[in-house]
Amino acid sequence: MKLNKAFFPKKYRQLFRPFCFLLVLLVFCSHDLYLKMETYLLQPNQQATLRHYNATYEKRENIITRDRMLDASFVALGKRAAIESNAWQDQDSTISQLSFNTGEAGTYVAGVSTKARNIELTADKFNDYLKHDGVLDMLKAREENNMLDQDAVESYQKHVKAIYQVGDIKTDDWKTILGYPIEFVPEINPYEKYSGETLTVKLLLDGKPLPNQLVYADYIPTSHTHEHSDHEHHHDEDGHSHEHGEKGHAHDHDGNTHSHGEETHHHHDDSEATEGHTHTSGQQLRTNSQGLVLVKLPEDGIYYLRTIHMVSIPDNEALTHESKWATLTFEVTHAHGDDTHTHDHHDHEDGFPTWVFVLGSVLIIGLLFILFRKKN
Amino acid sequence: MIKFKYNRQTLLLFLLLIPFVGLAHDVTSADQEILRTGGLWAYIRVGATHMLTGYDHLLFLAGVIFYLNSFKDILKFITVFTIGHCITLIGATYTGITADEHLVDAVIALSVLYKGFENLGGFEKLNIKSPNLLVMVGLFGLIHGFGLSTRLQSFDMGEGQFLAKILCFNLGVEVGQVLALIPITFIITLARKQEQFPAFYKAVNWYLVLAGIALFVYQLYGYFTGH
Repeated sequence: MKLNKAFFPKKYRQLFRPFCFLLVLLVFCSHDLYLKMETYLLQPNQQATLRHYNATYEKRENIITRDRMLDASFVALGKRAAIESNAWQDQDSTISQLSFNTGEAGTYVAGVSTKARNIELTADKFNDYLKHDGVLDMLKAREENNMLDQDAVESYQKHVKAIYQVGDIKTDDWKTILGYPIEFVPEINPYEKYSGETLTVKLLLDGKPLPNQLVYADYIPTSHTHEHSDHEHHHDEDGHSHEHGEKGHAHDHDGNTHSHGEETHHHHDDSEATEGHTHTSGQQLRTNSQGLVLVKLPEDGIYYLRTIHMVSIPDNEALTHESKWATLTFEVTHAHGDDTHTHDHHDHEDGFPTWVFVLGSVLIIGLLFILFRKKN
Repeated sequence: MIKFKYNRQTLLLFLLLIPFVGLAHDVTSADQEILRTGGLWAYIRVGATHMLTGYDHLLFLAGVIFYLNSFKDILKFITVFTIGHCITLIGATYTGITADEHLVDAVIALSVLYKGFENLGGFEKLNIKSPNLLVMVGLFGLIHGFGLSTRLQSFDMGEGQFLAKILCFNLGVEVGQVLALIPITFIITLARKQEQFPAFYKAVNWYLVLAGIALFVYQLYGYFTGH
């Protein structure tokens, strides 16, 4: 006898969730605002922590100050409740957090929307940022119009959502449109989707579907049983294209590796953020004419969708560009349970077809009966 | 001639019911979904389904009933079997004790083999005194319960209401057992009245022996190859 092996992976995963969370922060969030939880699968009436993280993009931002929040709210059981500004507590210079009680079971939404803010960037820095944050359409437009040498004054605003599951009951709150200037809205409850499946998500700009918009989707595996070689980020000379396979997760930056599966993470340079570490990893998608993207969910993990919609402001003395950022986070689990991939019983069944057993049994009993009847 | 016809009908009925037995354990991924979303009722349902489609449990029960003649005996032996599997199902699941499913199922396969062997008078033929059947049924009840426990523990049971979930699964197992016993008892009782019952008795019990061996080998193969 041995201890329940099904329990080990779960405990194992719980142990490593904080590390995953750290990885999430380090890898995916240097420039973006995300709503974070250690897990998005919660139990009813438990205390949970929601964090919004806003790293120092070009060293220009710290925590989102309360007065910058246009909206912070939860949507649960059909009701939208504003989060009071004094409920947030600053964890450090980049993370604010909020403790809350999950309440009744359901699929709920948390959202934060910030006011617009301006930033001035030199042409090089602006180009670098467009490249590494995946605002490729704008970069291409600058190239085509010979504007790569022009400095920029950008107005940016961020609108972020997280969808989390409390208990087992699924509610319709997940599809609530918060009315942000830009936001992702899934077409199907993400918690009715499982690893190996796909999820269709709509991108809305000012409430209308936004076609032909680049969207990036990636995830941090939560199973920790994957092979790295299947899920790698390759950085070319230009730096920063990423390719993902089915499983695993590894980065290689000029010989330096992020190896998520082993809970290690090595940056080649602490100043990476200022050098424009790319945030276009994972699936590079583009919305169709209905503003929809099909996101693959290859394995258990915390999934992140991000997009930056940027337009030029040609006739404005104060601004050259305006951008609206959106992120969506949620968690995906295995269809057979989120804590184990050792479903021996499936193998058992797969390897021993029912029809073989039925046919064999019928034949054997029938033959034996005939045999013994004759013998008698 | 008429009796033979009835006997053939009994055999046919028995064979027709085998597909239900043959559904054996085809309940996993769907079950996980049910457990994930269905609350405590889901555990009752999955427990019942597992028992109704678990060929090893049903074959053993069929073997036990074949050996017994009166309803009182059936009730007594089934009660002992039920107490046995309740102890290990609840106890092992609650304490998180489990073992490799293949090994547990291999032992359960041996219980099927044992029952067929005993019903065929194997101990007498070997001039060995057969163990007390009630004790053996109780012992095998413990083993079957442990098998049910390992299966239950292979599912993600979530958090909260842990004991309630186990008890509900156990309740489902009992419901499934009663539902399975009704046709088994009916068929065997009907068969007893037939002239060809001895041939039927031998055929089924030899089948139990062969099925027990096959399942045992199959589970060991699974254990050693990891399938």
